[in-house]
Amino acid sequence: MGENKKLRSFTFHFCTILLGLVMIYPLLWLISSSFKTNSEIFVNSYSLIPKQWDIVKNYSSGWAGIGGVSFGTFMWNSVIVAVIGTVGGVLSSVLAAYAFARIKFFGSKFWFFCVMMTLMIPNQVMVVPQFIIFKKLGLINNLAALIIPWVFGSAFFIFLTVQFIRGLPIELDEAAEIDGCNKIEIFIKIIFPLVVPAVITSTIFSFYWIWQDFFQPLIFMSNPEHFTVSLALNLYLDPNSFNNYGGMLAMSVVSLIPVVIIFLIFQKQLVEGVATSGLKD
Amino acid sequence: MSRKKKSLKFGNNNLVGYILIAPWLIGFLIMYLIPMIISIYFSFTKYNLLSAPVFIGIDNFTRMFFHDPSFWKSLGVTFYYVFMLVPLRLIFAFIVAMLLNSKRKFLGLYRAVYYIPSIVGGSVAVSIVWKQIFGNDGVAMALLSVIGIHQKTSFIGNPSTAIWTIISLGVWQFGSAMLIFLAALKQVPKSIYESSGIDGAGYFTQIFKITIPMLTPVIFFNLILQVINAFKAFTESYIITQGGPMDSTLFYVLNLYRKSFTYFDMGYSSAMAWVLVLIIGLFTIVLFKSQSTWVHYESKE
Amino acid sequence: MKKPISILLAAILTGTLAMSGCSKGSGSTTEKVDENAPVKLSITWWGSQSRHDYTNKLLAMYTAKNPKITFQATPSGWDGYFDKISAQAAGDTMPDIMQMDYSFISTYSKNDTLADLTPYVSDKTIDLATADTNLVDTGKVDNKLTGIVLASTALAITYNPKVFAKAGLEVPTSAWTWADFEKDMIQIQKKNGTFGQSKIDNISTFPYWVRQYGKTMYSADGTKLGYDDDQVFIDYASMVKRLQDAKALPNPDQWAQISAKGKEAEPVVTGEAGATMDWANYGVIVSKSNPNLKLVTPPYSSTGTKALWNKPSMFFSVAKSSKNQKEAAKFINWFLNDPEANKVIMAERGIPISSKIRDGLKASLTPQQKDMFDYADVAIANSTKADPADPAGVAEVTKALTDTINSFLYNKTSAKESAADFRTKANDILGRNSK
Repeated sequence: MGENKKLRSFTFHFCTILLGLVMIYPLLWLISSSFKTNSEIFVNSYSLIPKQWDIVKNYSSGWAGIGGVSFGTFMWNSVIVAVIGTVGGVLSSVLAAYAFARIKFFGSKFWFFCVMMTLMIPNQVMVVPQFIIFKKLGLINNLAALIIPWVFGSAFFIFLTVQFIRGLPIELDEAAEIDGCNKIEIFIKIIFPLVVPAVITSTIFSFYWIWQDFFQPLIFMSNPEHFTVSLALNLYLDPNSFNNYGGMLAMSVVSLIPVVIIFLIFQKQLVEGVATSGLKD
Repeated sequence: MSRKKKSLKFGNNNLVGYILIAPWLIGFLIMYLIPMIISIYFSFTKYNLLSAPVFIGIDNFTRMFFHDPSFWKSLGVTFYYVFMLVPLRLIFAFIVAMLLNSKRKFLGLYRAVYYIPSIVGGSVAVSIVWKQIFGNDGVAMALLSVIGIHQKTSFIGNPSTAIWTIISLGVWQFGSAMLIFLAALKQVPKSIYESSGIDGAGYFTQIFKITIPMLTPVIFFNLILQVINAFKAFTESYIITQGGPMDSTLFYVLNLYRKSFTYFDMGYSSAMAWVLVLIIGLFTIVLFKSQSTWVHYESKE
Repeated sequence: MKKPISILLAAILTGTLAMSGCSKGSGSTTEKVDENAPVKLSITWWGSQSRHDYTNKLLAMYTAKNPKITFQATPSGWDGYFDKISAQAAGDTMPDIMQMDYSFISTYSKNDTLADLTPYVSDKTIDLATADTNLVDTGKVDNKLTGIVLASTALAITYNPKVFAKAGLEVPTSAWTWADFEKDMIQIQKKNGTFGQSKIDNISTFPYWVRQYGKTMYSADGTKLGYDDDQVFIDYASMVKRLQDAKALPNPDQWAQISAKGKEAEPVVTGEAGATMDWANYGVIVSKSNPNLKLVTPPYSSTGTKALWNKPSMFFSVAKSSKNQKEAAKFINWFLNDPEANKVIMAERGIPISSKIRDGLKASLTPQQKDMFDYADVAIANSTKADPADPAGVAEVTKALTDTINSFLYNKTSAKESAADFRTKANDILGRNSK
């Protein structure tokens, strides 16, 4: 019996690692290329081990940024936009989700339909009208223009949280109501703690999406001091000039670090400490 | 329950409801409703962004349906992408989530490894990587020749296979769906499994009779989201293949984007956008209506 | 029911107000009366990291000399550059100074978004005395000078002498023909087992090809193709196919792979091809990877027509809505004519248009840059008047060109069919865009 278990465990780990390597190969390529010299990156693209190491040059030239604005500034801008956008966005979304899932209010079906509709519209076609509006509101060139689209909540998180809440038995709400709680109290005491996984998932996604959005910063921001990381990375490349691929790849690696950190922090909450109590346990 | 209390409750619900959705509503009005109205207006105009829009009635729509082969081509490519990618991605995500939903060593590490591709997927860097891997002297070709298959053209350059390099990029990023499944799996009470185990249910029976039904709200969610997002796919083909070769990866939104900016045809592309919304809307409505047949909500709403 | 309706009404009202912002810039063209007030010029350009860095240095230099003038600079990559300018045009916030490309200037100009800079040339704010008139005129659209050309370049064959030597070939001369070219490329393939030619880029080469027949790619009014005989297309496509079939030229798929790696990894640089067709600054760009490449003019056709032209590599344009046109013009003048400025620029954007500046730079050039400068003279000797600026719709036409040629290369259609298909598509696009 013990042997069987060991065999299963071994197979599990073996397959998972194998698949894991396949999954992670592209990233290893990215990291190893950021260590190579510009001429080697594509000529010797197979090998994950650089023939010539150029780490310092790549990372420092990349960090120097564009035209006097260091990469650090870009990172900081991205952090501000992503953090505020995420906190505001997830909060707004969860509140709205609770309303849609649990409160019968006039017009809720119509507004939920609007939520779904916003999901279906491709961003590219909204950008120009949004730009015109922001310009009239005087928000161009302000990081606010990048934050506003997210901070009022977005359909993805609303929908996700709605589904999670609908997975919770209505008896919980009813029990609390009998105990004298109003809707808000039910939310704070009962529902919210139980949808923490959804909230965390939303947080991870939201941060990542805001972090790597390129098109909105491109259209809305003119001052390089306000550029975000995703936009900045694009500026490194021009088909008709000499390109610092090493620097660009190095900064790509750097730009992934915060997102990975956010994920690593929160994935623990997802795993442990998720309350499944309160349900039929 | 006196009637007075009931009507108070009713009024109260409305107030609470609107307060809760107020943030979203504000954002919706500024960021969506007004731009939508503007965009719909554009779709009936000839507009190149540089001069004022000129009203031309339904000309954009007639051109789209009758005089623009690229519209049909891109629609076909996108449909193919949706119907290939979504099932594959969901199945992968589900299986891996199931496997990782246990207490084993290194689990956190595995989870991170499988999720990380989702994080990096949309970046310029990854697209460069993908071009390398599936290119002429990339790893994929090398692996094939090890098995003894020698290809004349690379995966990316071959009109029949290029779309699959992009689909594979999408499947590679199954981590996000996996995460959602994992979160939902955590919500399934262990007691259900235990009691069914006592009743003699085996592993696979448990999966099909307990896990999957309990997860249907989230499967539904993932399905709708993935379908909608797949219809809107843009970045991958923009960066990796630019819609080529021979338009075999010309996604609908890429076509739309090109027409907006590269071809200075914003009116026409707005028309394209709204046709897409209608198509996606149709799919969504059908999926929503199908809920009653296969999605199981604990709250029985 | 009241709430939703009032919301809708408010939305429509706001929408209408917002829509009024879509009309083209109606900014005043009156100059600031107070010459001494501080001015902030907004400027944007595309390029790579090195261009962004030295251009910002230039802006700082200019401000040091003219403390009242400061800049709001927006560097950008090529991708998305014109998307953004178009969006800004729609929102009436175009930058004062914009780097402009020959394929877009016509569109922006005809839609009245660019300022006519003729007055500033007439009153010598912008001094073009030492620049070639033909070149300067490329910035004229409908008789308005809406772009000041910054630098020129020309089509060139950049070749690797070692590869030619290995194949037992003499290096090409300016007098070589397409027949010579094909022979050489195929020989390189046979002797060295590699490509002869790295690439033949349709966008730059096909117009050159058409000019060899004494025609221009587009008609003078930009409403249709400028050549009537489909044989022009057929000959070009057939030549490309012959080379491809002989494996002397990468097929579109192989080329897609190669181009993904950037210019520095092109076969001609690594010794796996003999030559490439590109702009004359190619050798300068890849000089760090291979400093031994040389330039020669593209092959002649049997007609012997001089088909090269002095191409404006890029312009500076000023937004019509700009309130600082005179200051913008002053800066452009400094950019073109100041020796200190050009020591920083070092011909990165192309060959400076002022002969005085060219002479002044000669001493500090690298060997590759000197080659490029020398080549400019050779190219001009083999040139005739440039085609007018590309008409509106050129991006779509270019795609149609590539698609129809590829269709032939992939054996999906015959050359004749592709030629006719291209004509139909191009004329349709051009017609639609010229209304």
